Amino acid sequence: MKLQHYLGGLEGLDPISLETRVFVEAWEERIFGIHTAMMALSSQLDLEATPSTFNTEWTWADLRKGAESMNPFDYFKFRYYEKWLGGISAYFVAKGYITQIELDARTETFLTSAPVMPKGGDAAVDARVRKYLLIGDDPKRERSTQPRFAAGEAVCVADPKSVDHTRLPGHLRNKAGIIDSVYPDAYTYLCEIGPDGIGKAMPVYCVKFDPETLWPGNTEQNFTFYADLFEAYLEPAIAS
Amino acid sequence: MQRFEYSTDRETVNAARVRALEALLIEKGVITRETVDKIMAIFATEMGPFNGAKLVAKAWVDPAFKKILAEDTMAAVEQMKFVTGGAGAEGEHMRAAINTPEVHNLIICTLCSCYPWPILGLPPYWYKDPSFRARAAREPRKVLSEFGLNIGPEKEIRTWDSSAQIRWFVVPERPAGTDTFSEEQLAALVTPESMMGVAIVKPPST
Repeated sequence: MKLQHYLGGLEGLDPISLETRVFVEAWEERIFGIHTAMMALSSQLDLEATPSTFNTEWTWADLRKGAESMNPFDYFKFRYYEKWLGGISAYFVAKGYITQIELDARTETFLTSAPVMPKGGDAAVDARVRKYLLIGDDPKRERSTQPRFAAGEAVCVADPKSVDHTRLPGHLRNKAGIIDSVYPDAYTYLCEIGPDGIGKAMPVYCVKFDPETLWPGNTEQNFTFYADLFEAYLEPAIAS
Repeated sequence: MQRFEYSTDRETVNAARVRALEALLIEKGVITRETVDKIMAIFATEMGPFNGAKLVAKAWVDPAFKKILAEDTMAAVEQMKFVTGGAGAEGEHMRAAINTPEVHNLIICTLCSCYPWPILGLPPYWYKDPSFRARAAREPRKVLSEFGLNIGPEKEIRTWDSSAQIRWFVVPERPAGTDTFSEEQLAALVTPESMMGVAIVKPPST
């Protein structure tokens, strides 16, 4: 069980941060931009090749896997974009684009004198990044099978083996819900996640939960909880 | 409250490290000198909450459009003819949750920070904070009260957890005293917080 998968409903936390800025430190937008460029240049996308030397895959799933594999105390210790900086730096080192020694040395240089940024690069790289932002990476596919469930049907959320990544919020595992709506067509996920069950195109449902079934006697009244769930995460309701 | 120990040069080291990474990636031909700046410019001018505000304002003045927005959100977005088309990265499939006198909607992402980029841009810090993501799932009224928004017990709260690839946003209610407002004037009142459900749109005089 990974705490990062079970944040929903966690008790004993601090008052909410009311910080409305996107970036609380100026450096954070640089790592956001690098991540977005990586997604846009990622090798699995059906976009025109560019002179960029980036030739591996990087999607949200890779970023999320990093955050979900962290020590849970570190997950809370580090701010959002600090986690990105750690995960993305480690990826570039692991894939051999840069070495840890180079990164440490350049960091040291930039700590002792004002950063000097190199010039150059091919405009086709930036054109592809822009194109990715404008058209995205559509996960919708034609359905090859009929949806297993229909709107109004009672379902039970599955409890698949915990692996490095999931799109199943932990607080919904083994809980009873009602199909609120069935999304048209089918949706792929960014990668196959083994025993977790998602990856290939499958129906997706909006499922409605009574919070009393999620946190009995410990939630609020006149409140309904909805989640979008892949079909692999749902089973027929157990007859009572 | 600071619960962990951090080195005193935490932010200067982070800043130097990210610039070092960016410099190396430019030298190695992964990205260009302009890549990050160009991405940020797109979020400043083309993909941002200014698009969502226009959608909301149009829904307020055009009931037929509001109906399409509720039933086939992407068809409504397409009608807006945004510079980007409105259906780009992180907005390929969006759904609008419409606030009414009986229902208040709140968008969360308990697993990460899924957010509809083409129409809302990038998520504010509060939305990404684990405390918000954890608490809004179980005690939304209490969380909203910390934002200064008190939702009475007679109004239903619906919380939408963005756990698949559908991206959600809220269409807040039109504030009183805006009958004579143009669509443009109405759009200027709409905040990102109101389009995620942690605020309502306030009348212009307050």
